[in-house]
Amino acid sequence: MSRQAPEGKNLVKRHGLVVLIEHWAIAISGLALILTGLFELPIARRYFITEIPGLRWSGDYIFSLWLHYAFSVVFVGASLFHVVYHGLMGHRAILPKRGDLRESWEVIKSFFGKGEEPPFAKYLPEQRLAYAGIALIIAGLIASGLVKTWKNLFAPDMDLTLVLWATWAHNLFFVLFVLAFVAHMAAILIKPNRPMIRAILTGWIRRDYAEHRHPLWIAELAGRNDHPAREQEAPTRERPPDGEAGGENPQGLS
Amino acid sequence: MKRDHEHGISRRAFLSGVATAAVSGAVGLPAKARAAGEGAFGTLVDLSLCDGCEGRDMPACVEACRTKNAGVVPEPVDPIPKPFPRGKIEDWSKKQGVTDRLTPYNYLFIQKAEVELGGAKKTVFIPRRCMHCDNPACATICPFSANHKYESGAVVIDQDICFGGAKCKEVCPWAIPERQSGVGIYLHILPTLAGNGVMFKCDLCQDLLLKGEDPVCITACPRKAMLIGPKEQILAEAERRAEAMNGYIYGKEENGGTSTLYVSPVPFELLDAAIEKGPGRPHLGKAPRKMAKTDPVAKAVMASPVIGLVAGLAAVAGARMKSGKEGDHE
Repeated sequence: MSRQAPEGKNLVKRHGLVVLIEHWAIAISGLALILTGLFELPIARRYFITEIPGLRWSGDYIFSLWLHYAFSVVFVGASLFHVVYHGLMGHRAILPKRGDLRESWEVIKSFFGKGEEPPFAKYLPEQRLAYAGIALIIAGLIASGLVKTWKNLFAPDMDLTLVLWATWAHNLFFVLFVLAFVAHMAAILIKPNRPMIRAILTGWIRRDYAEHRHPLWIAELAGRNDHPAREQEAPTRERPPDGEAGGENPQGLS
Repeated sequence: MKRDHEHGISRRAFLSGVATAAVSGAVGLPAKARAAGEGAFGTLVDLSLCDGCEGRDMPACVEACRTKNAGVVPEPVDPIPKPFPRGKIEDWSKKQGVTDRLTPYNYLFIQKAEVELGGAKKTVFIPRRCMHCDNPACATICPFSANHKYESGAVVIDQDICFGGAKCKEVCPWAIPERQSGVGIYLHILPTLAGNGVMFKCDLCQDLLLKGEDPVCITACPRKAMLIGPKEQILAEAERRAEAMNGYIYGKEENGGTSTLYVSPVPFELLDAAIEKGPGRPHLGKAPRKMAKTDPVAKAVMASPVIGLVAGLAAVAGARMKSGKEGDHE
């Protein structure tokens, strides 16, 4: 993916190819895991889902488990890749910061016409909080799923207490994951957020939108740390390496 | 009967072992030698010894099992809620007396096979119950882990958390578990929308095993046709008996191996062809491991964290090399 904004285009690069691949690998496999996980409940035949063209397999518990495992390989692999890659590259822009909870409340109120939105960095405070929440849910799903898979393969007589913990944790995190997905989709319905859809599809975002809504990020991209709102923030971090975090692509501003 | 925990063998076990050895011509193996509460065990059903308790109203093992498990199934609610949208209810509460097949009230029954072997007619009686598989698909597939294999080898359904979805029955190569509608936890949640009762089957008298006692079917058998002991010993004994009678073993390889080994002088293909099969009446045919298809991809799941880790490290190395090269050009 070119790091240069297309000639004469009003665009800033928000996500690199790595982030796009990670996001969509986790999103698509996550959705498939929700579906195949649901079909591990005895509902497909009972509710005639097997009669829907293309979903006949949904009543086959062993095949749906096979699919669940297959999508888990992508889901778990992409999640671990994400942690290792961004952890070692020092990408921190999406991690929650002190004051995010309070600031999120201000942002939510502004959606309903009460007060002004504060200037944002690359991510909105609620995006950073949602990231932490989803990361926790995914970690829980992966840990409990791995215990269950290990039992299924190698330890059928695993201690019952551990089996029950893993099973019910997996079921609970499954419900939370579905709710998180619904909330993620609901965020798109909020008009000021919609330009970000383009970014997660193409990697690019409108520059005028970014300058208006994410001035702290734009200032960081330009190598400036002089935005007035910066002074109110927690101690300024080192400028992240060029890549995926706060400062992604100074050239994109040209 | 209590076991001598010091030696893992009860005196009665030793004596009945001597009796068994006398019957089979074997020496050395006690009939029941499993150390109480620890380690996997196996059971052996010697079809050359079982006579189906002909002449009795009910086979001794079946009667003992029914007596032991009387009252396990609670009284179903009346009326039983009709599960939406199909409305299929399985109610055995008015047919509790059925003993010629598996039901929620009957976890052991005797199949009868009349076969011709070497020009002679022969009648074989086959006690049938859960095989207690080594890696049971029923436990793998249960979404609530209501079905669990214990270290002892017993595969037990926890009736308190079973919703009666019958997945276990569907994936069991012998379709052993049976459903009773109108009982269980589903009644307290969404009785018409989710669940349809509770699944029931033989638990190999797990409560007795934990006390160091033997399953009642084994204790009750007047012909000592059934044995329980450490799994390796039971397997060795099954092989020895099969060799001695020029016979066959069923349950060693089926579904990847089970805790129940049948030994028969008649090939199981002949027995399978001769028995009455159908709902509640399991076959004696081939039973490849049910979860074999999912094993390779499950192993890939276990490897996926390492794959992600290595790919992440490689990507970091690649990114750093690239930024280093870009720096060189500046």
